[in-house]
Amino acid sequence: MEKYDVIVIGGGLLGCFTARALTRYRLKLALLEAREDVCTGISRANTAIIYSGADTKPGSLKSEMCVRSAQTFANLCSQLGVRYSPCGSLMISFGPRGEEVLGKKMAQGKANGVRGLALLSREEVLSIEPNVSPAVTAGLFAPEAGTVIPWELGIAAAENALHNGAEFQFNSAVTRIEKVPDGYVLEAGGRPFHARGIINCAGLYADGLHEMVAKPSVRIYPEAGDYYILDTKASGVIRHIIFHEPEEKGKGLTLVPTVDGNILLGPSKIPSGEKNDAFPTSKEGLEWLCGLAEQVIPSLPMEHVIRSFGAVRPNPFYVRHDPDTGLLHRDDKGISDFILHETDGAPNFLSFIGIKTPGLTCALELGLYAADRMAALLGNLQPNDAFNPNNPAPLRLKELSEEARAQRVREKPSYGRIVCRCRGISEGEIIDSIHHSIGAKTVDGVKRRTGAGSGRCQGGFCTQRIIEILSQELGIPVCDIQKDRPGSKVIGGKDHG
Amino acid sequence: MADCEILVIGGGPAGMAAVLGAWEAGCRKILLVERSEQLGGILRQCLHSGFGLATFGEELTGPEYARRYIQRLQGLPVDILTDTSVIELKPDGTALLSGAVSGLTNIKAAAVILASGCRERPIGTLPVTGTRPSGIFTAGAAQKMVNLGGYDFGQRFVILGSGDVGMIMARQLALLGKTIIAVLEKEARCGGLERNRINCLERFNIPLRTLCTVTRVHGSARVEGVTVRNLSDGHEEYIACDTLITSVGLIPERELAEQAGGGGALPDWLYLCGNACYVHDLVDDVTYEGEAIGRAAADFVRTGRKKAAPAIMNGTRTAVNGKAGKTICIACPKGCPLVKTDTGWSGALCGRKDPVPSE
Repeated sequence: MEKYDVIVIGGGLLGCFTARALTRYRLKLALLEAREDVCTGISRANTAIIYSGADTKPGSLKSEMCVRSAQTFANLCSQLGVRYSPCGSLMISFGPRGEEVLGKKMAQGKANGVRGLALLSREEVLSIEPNVSPAVTAGLFAPEAGTVIPWELGIAAAENALHNGAEFQFNSAVTRIEKVPDGYVLEAGGRPFHARGIINCAGLYADGLHEMVAKPSVRIYPEAGDYYILDTKASGVIRHIIFHEPEEKGKGLTLVPTVDGNILLGPSKIPSGEKNDAFPTSKEGLEWLCGLAEQVIPSLPMEHVIRSFGAVRPNPFYVRHDPDTGLLHRDDKGISDFILHETDGAPNFLSFIGIKTPGLTCALELGLYAADRMAALLGNLQPNDAFNPNNPAPLRLKELSEEARAQRVREKPSYGRIVCRCRGISEGEIIDSIHHSIGAKTVDGVKRRTGAGSGRCQGGFCTQRIIEILSQELGIPVCDIQKDRPGSKVIGGKDHG
Repeated sequence: MADCEILVIGGGPAGMAAVLGAWEAGCRKILLVERSEQLGGILRQCLHSGFGLATFGEELTGPEYARRYIQRLQGLPVDILTDTSVIELKPDGTALLSGAVSGLTNIKAAAVILASGCRERPIGTLPVTGTRPSGIFTAGAAQKMVNLGGYDFGQRFVILGSGDVGMIMARQLALLGKTIIAVLEKEARCGGLERNRINCLERFNIPLRTLCTVTRVHGSARVEGVTVRNLSDGHEEYIACDTLITSVGLIPERELAEQAGGGGALPDWLYLCGNACYVHDLVDDVTYEGEAIGRAAADFVRTGRKKAAPAIMNGTRTAVNGKAGKTICIACPKGCPLVKTDTGWSGALCGRKDPVPSE
């Protein structure tokens, strides 16, 4: 049985950053991921925002981490070779209730140490965002907000952790955890692992994992959300992240001009209750988005929608056994701050349960927090002097000058052959994504790493070619290439021709 | 690569015809750029017959129709670059080409003809909720997988949209022994050509359910079923299937023209033809117009002046000038030539008075 100092469970953003932070210490470390790739759960479906830190209550761990993260996010992205758009955010109101919220957030943000916050008049809002509805009354501008591609960040963190010594085990869902005198024995993907300490970053399933070693104390009650993505043709309609603060109590609309030049619209808020990691969309949610979009940005070209997707918010609540009924009783109010849960009976077992917004913003900080806590618990850990925080960015031909690009094509002709015409992604970039240290194994894996298949035709032209390239590069038949998860094969076989 | 007089982007039927038209009008420095390794465009994957009735008076398959033009092109000293994409068309008429063998090059042309065809509307543009598992394909992508890849990709199909490609795929999958549960059409009538409805659906007992659409996709890894809504009474039912084919519209692929025009009007040196201009029902029309566009571009290169764009045929709604009888009826399965009568046009064989279906 393989023995480790620490095992991280879950390869989402949190797991990847926790693993990366742990590699700052000299220890034997593995990350166990249930799926075939990192960032396939909550990390792949969210609003992609780096929050300034004006939205959370002063004095909370969340606020402290969020402000620090936002102010250093560009630096983190440049270390990891990840694209970042520091576009700033603009919260807009449409009447007195909204303006009151703006004023509160302004004060809160100031107390949290958010820099550059400014209350804007209606005219000022319309001058920087001319397509916002003229009914707008005021705005709160936060220059230190931005947007990133969440899985691009997670994959880079994972690769960096790998280069610094972490092991990654895919297709390794943890099915059993047993407490033993010198730590824990886990069964994952049918194989046993031993670890002195465990950090549970299992996302939507973190509560279930925690209950393998502890009594139920925190449970996730998920809520679904829906999003639309608009084609890059709509790029320029908005310039900042826009948070709409509605006059009626309830949820407002969020719009994000993404790093790739799309506009992301959402999320809706739909009671769900089920942990469906296929993330279905709902009719109510999508209709709600369309209705609000028209009110907030009347000229938003909804005819340029190219995709909708669903997401899940992992809302955490404290629960306790009711001795009279024997049932679990849930607190009325959810847990609002970030908490790294520890249990008396389960030493060196740390759990992140229900880390939601601004979890993406704080991924680095949360990872450091968990890693340092684990280091303190295990004691006597030496720093890893060879730790290198930098990760080389993948070659992105579009970012090169024409001369540099021409040179690359001469060196490697496959950089000249365009496979995804909508995003302009070459065969060479797709091949690179497969052979990267945490490489793509599936059609969606290629999409997350290169953008191929995410444009206006949504893979209509290139999916077959991408399957053929995956087959050729991985040396497995086309009929064994999955879209994403097990059971999602695209092609059944070659039955004729 | 030397600069040229006319750059034609796209080696499908429109681009090939444009090259021929420009050549016949006297232009000699022509470059044809095609992104795939062979000429022919979408015709290469159209193994069914029905092409060329108007042009050649006989029924050809897609590759046969394409071959006639490829052979004519091969007899001419025009430059042809395959396996090469145009990735940028600059406002000054310079095109940036990218190919594995041809490398990355700028080409300056006096006139550019964009014949880049069209793309299929993806499912994400429709109000279809639920999951997005494996097993959802556009009809054209499915056609390519079957005809050019020889791949098998499902057993039990629902086809959303009764466009021509969707109906042709329904027939082809039925011939391969697959189960086609239904072709669904949200409108009250078939969306494609009547002759395709008869030849592809009726003759294979494939049900066409009008006023029906898919509202939800089920399945987390692979499609497990769809919710189908009857739009006339609102009734919804679950249909189990493993594959959903969509044939819900084609969109001209002319982003390069938008780029060159900088969001404004098209520059004088730029011409659109084939499905990049508008989506055609018949390849014969594409060829006819392509040749006319080629001649017009050659005229522009010679005179420096752009005359009014050549008339487009808009399907067979307008008969070709002086070429009555070479246009076929799209309303009946025979595809018979049109003849002019005192009261308008009618089908020569079937005698239909209104040979073109209204939209």
